[in-house]
Amino acid sequence: MFDFLIDGFGVALTPLNLGLAFLGALLGTLFGALPGIGPINGIAILMPLAYTLGLPAESALIMLAGIYTGAEYGGRMSSILLNVPGDAGAVMTTLDGHPLAKKGLAGPALGLSAVSSFVGATIAILGLTLFAPLLARTAVLFGPAEFFALMVFAFSSMSVMMGKDPVKTAIGAVLGVLIATVGVDSGTGVMRFTFDMPELYDGIDFVVMIIGLFAISEILLMLEHANRKDGDSELPPLGRVFVGMKEIMLCKWTMLRSGLLGFIIGVLPGTGASVAGAVSYTTEKRLSDRDGTFGKGDWRGLAAPEAANNASAAGSFVPMLTLGIPGSGTTAVLLGALMLYNITPGPMMFSENPEVAGGLIASLYIGNIVLLALNLPLAGLFARVLTIPRWVLIPAIAILSFVGVYQLHSDLTAIYLMLIIGIFGYLLRKLGFSLAPVILGYVLGGLMEENLRRALAISGGDTSILWQSGISLGLWIAAVALLVLPWLMGRIKAKYVSRAS
Amino acid sequence: MSLFDNRAADRGLAIALIGLAAFIASQALSLEVPFSYDPVGPRAFPIGLAILLSILSLVLLIRPGENGEWPSPWVAVKLLAVLGLLLLYALLFQRLGYLISSGLVIAALARLFSASWLKAVITGVLMAIGSYWLFTMGLGITLPGGSWFG
Repeated sequence: MFDFLIDGFGVALTPLNLGLAFLGALLGTLFGALPGIGPINGIAILMPLAYTLGLPAESALIMLAGIYTGAEYGGRMSSILLNVPGDAGAVMTTLDGHPLAKKGLAGPALGLSAVSSFVGATIAILGLTLFAPLLARTAVLFGPAEFFALMVFAFSSMSVMMGKDPVKTAIGAVLGVLIATVGVDSGTGVMRFTFDMPELYDGIDFVVMIIGLFAISEILLMLEHANRKDGDSELPPLGRVFVGMKEIMLCKWTMLRSGLLGFIIGVLPGTGASVAGAVSYTTEKRLSDRDGTFGKGDWRGLAAPEAANNASAAGSFVPMLTLGIPGSGTTAVLLGALMLYNITPGPMMFSENPEVAGGLIASLYIGNIVLLALNLPLAGLFARVLTIPRWVLIPAIAILSFVGVYQLHSDLTAIYLMLIIGIFGYLLRKLGFSLAPVILGYVLGGLMEENLRRALAISGGDTSILWQSGISLGLWIAAVALLVLPWLMGRIKAKYVSRAS
Repeated sequence: MSLFDNRAADRGLAIALIGLAAFIASQALSLEVPFSYDPVGPRAFPIGLAILLSILSLVLLIRPGENGEWPSPWVAVKLLAVLGLLLLYALLFQRLGYLISSGLVIAALARLFSASWLKAVITGVLMAIGSYWLFTMGLGITLPGGSWFG
């Protein structure tokens, strides 16, 4: 059953892939540590360069996955030291991490958060190893109708869980799916929304899309943040990065619980590190905050979100590898990256591309150990990254984006398109949209239409095929329940409260 | 001071999105479909999305939500300057070549993000040369040399 893992270690332990896992972990930690540049930006900026190096699919994925998991480690640094979350997953880390740093415990806080990141990630990687092959075996039974229902479920789960405004999340996803319809229709060869521009015949390029959406809009957003002070601008004294057995023992159940919770949240399609961090923090607060110390520098309040966000990163690989449904915005980007290699992840991946699935999972084990080893002794060095001024950072992002897109096509149309998408992304973010649904819609849109049309071609146009099987019917019911239940619960609660008063 | 009222921004967006949905639907309807065995064809999916988008936009129109903070006029001017710079970079990229266009744009961007003139110029020169070396020597990327110089 675990043959894929043994083969995977064979792939991951080659010198090239070992080096790339190390490089990815290092770069990811740096990107995570820089405020504003999270895992998606890091991957968006570095992905074109991975292609330039001509890496095979599994090697590119190992490096990109290293950036992802590394960024979840790195995101905690500016949370703890500057009270500015390094990425969305580390928002809750500020609550207890920064007070600890203010008490002069910055070093131990960095140490404990590295350990809890490691514990959370380890739990989730073990879960991925056990769970993914099982799920893949079930998913082999999926036909086009079941896949279509699954994607509907993924979008409805995302609307409820992601972002503050479900309507905007849904609109973002629809916009993403619409962008995916641009280009030649694979079913009939008809041009859709190409407006006679040859550059659009192949659709909107994945790299252009994610660099525009994430990197360019980030440049514009950073200009605003530059004028606003949201955190402390001076690094507190770090001290020795060290954590005692006492703190680890105090947090052991917190780490285990949050790691497990983070893994489950990561597996759910459409929910990512930010949800995992928030849910685990509130759970832990409810369970163990007896003296009201949470929010004032409680070790457990620091350990919970860090274990959970790292666990959710590994957990989100489960649906991506087994169903081809990304568990988070970042895995959506990784999925798109694989599709550029003509590999469509799904239930067959463990049998058809075992070197990719197994190699990736094995590299996560290795990367996690590398990350712990890097993050304990070198935390002080990484923390220095926080002092890089924006006037160095922004031009660097700009030239990396330009060169990344230019070297793919050597033409300027792609660069103009990237700028337009960047403005679009900036406006969306200003209007209170999260970009993850857009990228999920864009990545899944093509597959969604393909499966819908394939299902209806099988049935000769009879739409009842879409909910005929038990699996698809179950998924439809789950999708509707997810959309209706929170609303219904709110209703019942309101009634109860009004009756009580 | 903000440029827009939050609710007004959401309402404007909703109206724009309904317009977009109508445009998508009309474009999809005008697609000429050759004979095909596919019972769905290329029209149905975009039209379905357009209907979904207009329903969601109507909800947004009736119940506009929270927005992020809109930039102050001064920041908005700077934003346009950054966008203008990026556009200029694209225009000059092949004409002036990578080294010169990057150096100029890096220095200007650094200055916009409040570096002093001296720091901006030094950053521009060092980063342009360093990145050129990294991209061409390290990664084997061919970068434009500048068509204006022949």
